[in-house]
Amino acid sequence: MTIFSEIATITLRALLGRRRTLLMLLLAAIPILVGLLVRANGRPGAVDIGAILDGIMIRVVLPLVALVFGTAALGSELEDGTAVHLLTKPIRRSTIVLAKITVAGTLTAAMLVPSTIIAGLLLAGMLNARPGVDPVAQVFAIAIGVLVGSYLYAAIFVALSIVTSRGLLVGLGYALIWEGILAGLLPGSQVFSVREYVRGIAETIEPAAIESIVGSTAVVYASIALVAATVIASLRLAVYEVRGGD
Amino acid sequence: MTATPPVDRGLVSGLGAPGAPGSGPGSPAGALVLESVSRWYGNVVAVNDVSFALGPGITGLLGPNGAGKTTILHMLAGLLRPSAGKVLVGGVPAWHNPSVYRTVGLVPEREAVHAFLSGRAFVEMAARLQRLPDPRVAAARAIATVDLEGAADRPVGTYSKGMRQRVKIAGALVHEPTILLLDEPFNGMDPRQRLHMIGLLRSMAEAGRSILFSSHILEEVERLADGVLVIHAGRLAASGDFREIRRLMTDRPHTFVVRSSDDRSLAAAFMAEPAVFGTELRDGRLTVQVAEFGGFTRAVARVARGAGVSLFEVAPTDDSLESVFAYLVSRR
Repeated sequence: MTIFSEIATITLRALLGRRRTLLMLLLAAIPILVGLLVRANGRPGAVDIGAILDGIMIRVVLPLVALVFGTAALGSELEDGTAVHLLTKPIRRSTIVLAKITVAGTLTAAMLVPSTIIAGLLLAGMLNARPGVDPVAQVFAIAIGVLVGSYLYAAIFVALSIVTSRGLLVGLGYALIWEGILAGLLPGSQVFSVREYVRGIAETIEPAAIESIVGSTAVVYASIALVAATVIASLRLAVYEVRGGD
Repeated sequence: MTATPPVDRGLVSGLGAPGAPGSGPGSPAGALVLESVSRWYGNVVAVNDVSFALGPGITGLLGPNGAGKTTILHMLAGLLRPSAGKVLVGGVPAWHNPSVYRTVGLVPEREAVHAFLSGRAFVEMAARLQRLPDPRVAAARAIATVDLEGAADRPVGTYSKGMRQRVKIAGALVHEPTILLLDEPFNGMDPRQRLHMIGLLRSMAEAGRSILFSSHILEEVERLADGVLVIHAGRLAASGDFREIRRLMTDRPHTFVVRSSDDRSLAAAFMAEPAVFGTELRDGRLTVQVAEFGGFTRAVARVARGAGVSLFEVAPTDDSLESVFAYLVSRR
């Protein structure tokens, strides 16, 4: 087993072995529940699949689940001291960071991509508010956006959890206040919003799937943000200090 | 308090002057070196201008809680950046240098093992992360070394504190480091485990390893260490041969509280002892002022037997390390 997969395996076990997994599964199930409710309502009114998935999945569930896994993957180990056994090994810090991001991102995506697809397909049976759009292509475009967003958010939140011991709180502030409120009000600020990248990627794949401001440049922004978060996390972990009890 | 001078050469076994010729990698003389090292957190000084150089053998880092022991150990383990001065491990800087962990093992004081892992899984993981050629064999050897074979396949979450301590030690020595740093290694161990651990660390030291362990308990350091560094309020208060420091510590006056079947007769009997210079009976408690710790502890049972009194408890009252160290520092 390589060092990378060694760290990834233990991280996955640590993340799954807790109650939080159950809570995250419940969160991931919300879009499916909404899909079922809309479907059960059964009225012939047209639904906008893109708007519903954007409002629930991209805006709320994705950042929250990625936040929890991203900050728990390394941040909570730094907090409770279990990270010391990793830090005192002759391992490149970037290997640790990459393994943590990969696990947090994969876990987020493993929960949310199926949820996006199931919720979307439930809605796809309804009358689409966007005439001429193939609802299945729309759903898969958004799911790919969610897939990329899972890793990008995970990278940002892993980095955040190294930079500050209040990663969860700061991350919540970023997701709710910055992405939720300010990025919608301040023109030009969308280029610093992961939510906007997710929408942009979906739009790039299926232009009628969803509307975004950044469009296909989202791919560039997302790549830069992913690399930057990984590099910052590695550099910060290399100078991370473990204070003792005295 | 005056500035701490560099450690006297030769006091600690294998001691070498910092930066002396031959203190490079591979040279045992400079395995662990601090050169005028300070560390502060904000405007709180945790370690203040400490210098020492340690070679093979066991050294005890003795001091009360909060003295700066963990800060020193974590700086040596590369987990903290020194604010000033140099920290060298095997001749190279410890900070920002993960390659030092090939030769260094750290046993932190805090719990550092995932509760869901078995002891064996934890140690094997440590072996794989060290890229050892045969992690399974190395882990089995380390587990046997700490005498944990019987519980190795149980989750660490079910371990007692002493067992958790031992599994951490197994994880730290699985790659047979030449330098071993242990933070309060005896916490939570029962006497039998302590004895075993003392034997283990001794044999590792005899094999040429440099071992530095912290403790706030005088007796632990006395039983184990060849040399001692006494830390008080972030400063090196004393260093060198243990017997000398022990004598300084024990020769000062002590006060004991004694409970017995007949405190009054015992008080009278104590007054005949040369080591005792005062007794007091107040609120049903007998306190005894003695000139010297060792003399009194040797005499107490004999005196009680002579007076026909049963002893229930003999406890030193002012033996908090804080007072011992304050005494040591005041002597400087």
